[in-house]
Amino acid sequence: MTAFKRILIANRGEIALRIERACRELSIATVAIYSEADRAALHVLEADEAFLLGPAPATESYLRGDLILDIARRSGADAIHPGYGFLSENADFAEACEGAGIKFIGPTSSSMRALGSKTKARQAADAAGMPRTPGSTQALASLAEAYSVADEIHYPVMLKAAAGGGGKGMRAVSRREELKPAFEAAQSEALRSFGSDEVYLEKLIERPRHIEIQMLADEHGNCIYLGERECSVQRRHQKVIEEAPSPVVGPDLRRRMGEAAVRLAQSQGYTNAGTVEFLVDDERNFYFLEMNTRLQVEHPVTELVTGLDLVHLQIRIAQGEPLPVSQQDVELRGHAIECRVYAEDPDNGFFPSPGRITRLLQPGGPGIREDSGIYEGWVVPMDYDPMLSKLIAYAPTRELAIARLLRALDEYVIGGIRTNLGFFRRILSDEGFRSGRIDTGYLDRLLAGSARVDGGETGTSDETVAAVAAALFEALRPAPATAVQPAASAWKSAGRREGLGEGLRG
Amino acid sequence: MKLELEIQGRLRAIELEPGASPGQYRVTLDGEVIEVEARLLRPGVLSLVVAGRSYRAVREDDAPAGNGSEVAVLVAGGRFPYRVEDSRSLKARRAHSGGHDGPKVIKASMPGRVVRVLASRGEEVAAHQGVVVIEAMKMQNELKSPKAGTVVEMRVAPGDTVSAGDVLAVID
Repeated sequence: MTAFKRILIANRGEIALRIERACRELSIATVAIYSEADRAALHVLEADEAFLLGPAPATESYLRGDLILDIARRSGADAIHPGYGFLSENADFAEACEGAGIKFIGPTSSSMRALGSKTKARQAADAAGMPRTPGSTQALASLAEAYSVADEIHYPVMLKAAAGGGGKGMRAVSRREELKPAFEAAQSEALRSFGSDEVYLEKLIERPRHIEIQMLADEHGNCIYLGERECSVQRRHQKVIEEAPSPVVGPDLRRRMGEAAVRLAQSQGYTNAGTVEFLVDDERNFYFLEMNTRLQVEHPVTELVTGLDLVHLQIRIAQGEPLPVSQQDVELRGHAIECRVYAEDPDNGFFPSPGRITRLLQPGGPGIREDSGIYEGWVVPMDYDPMLSKLIAYAPTRELAIARLLRALDEYVIGGIRTNLGFFRRILSDEGFRSGRIDTGYLDRLLAGSARVDGGETGTSDETVAAVAAALFEALRPAPATAVQPAASAWKSAGRREGLGEGLRG
Repeated sequence: MKLELEIQGRLRAIELEPGASPGQYRVTLDGEVIEVEARLLRPGVLSLVVAGRSYRAVREDDAPAGNGSEVAVLVAGGRFPYRVEDSRSLKARRAHSGGHDGPKVIKASMPGRVVRVLASRGEEVAAHQGVVVIEAMKMQNELKSPKAGTVVEMRVAPGDTVSAGDVLAVID
């Protein structure tokens, strides 16, 4: 067992910062890496050491495993934490770390290979006696094979890329006539996105919930599950809101799903943190979907309801420590809900909205956690994922967690770029969400329904207040650029000029 | 002080008069009188108390709102874009938007990078036909022609970086 002295964090954004915070708490030095677009990013400012990788595109920076390993060697890092995305599920990178004698904080390259491909994971699920969706467990060799599998399991079916993720290379097929074009489209999209055109076919579960089990395994054969996360609120197969526990999972279902996840992990000699994803139908049957061999974006909701710090535990497991908690010690308390705050415009087809954050007021108070990678004045680059932060509420009950989130959303102001903060207000106020009637099609139905409901409050309307505020801002603006004077006195003189400013700077 | 604001597409006449004590204002908005107590907390952030209710208003950036350019104020979770109207810019814009037959521009709604140009200068396009594709944060957005006509100007090429509001092409 060796305690790490220095960890290189092979990531950016909020997760890099999250890991840096854990390292600080464990007195481990942090090494950040950054692209040319990220010199001023928060994860660079907050790290102990920082090294430039290369130009902005991820293929020339955050995906350059060779450069990252070089930096790890040069900086004397004992270990690399990959975060999520980028190289976190790249078995070749994990293997290169193993070869270089630098600990990859995650599973070994061999168990990553065994579970990383969705078809291999389906084979492993069978071996572990785990329920999965009917369908193939190998890549389809031809269109003819696709027809025969689909006929056998009956339509509707789902085509998926074996190397897939994030909805890419995925096609729902409801009738036989649609199979051929869908098969070809899925293959070419899979090839473009993942460099492999392997696709397989499975039965489409109607209106499923997406529920996943967090598990942890040490390097001494101990493996536990930390309950579930409900991740059914999705748009284009991307999670938008996650919570723990799920409104529909009781102790018995939790135990059965958890034990299945542990069996799968143990059958592959899995180590460190991992997540087993399931689809759950309306009769609460669960089907293995895939395994994510890394830390998940939504890990904070599990941390809040279990009281465990998953990043601390990942590091301690990687150092060779036995798990400090047993299955009996794991107790779920309260309810946690997370909103993924994105730089995107819900009023404009959710198009990404990079740019300068001109104003930032962050929420706080009881039960609120904000895992963020942004600050006022920072320019959100256009080159990466649009996630800005995760806003998480924790409370004794689901109802109170929703109330806390709504309260925190009112406190949260991000100006200069568009965000989906207002969209969360709509979801959290929706009766369907509030009563827990959610499945993976929930958000699409909400979006297809009538647009925003503005509160029918009496009194001064928000628009009137906005007009008054706008007028005051304009009246109090500094004199035009012709006057060369310091900003502070410009404010004052502009106020005097209009005879309006006294008392305003209270 | 009097000014005209176009807020959320609506033109509003506003008059501000200082009240009895510092920070107090009598605001006349389209004839309606509203008493406001205001504190500038820091540049761009204003606290307002209107009829006993407390509001926080945030001006989105420091750019001037004159000459018809748009800024936004954030109040109670809503975003309210506005521009200050001086008579000149108002007249110009009214003249511009008067007819439907004039040239129309295609603007970038968001910052991004041009990945494809689907129609070149001189080409005929149908209404709602895709003209330029821009990409940001791994997502692509096809910008469509607002009307049937000819591409009279194509101001961008693949690889160009554009800001929100940049004119990409002109259709006539």
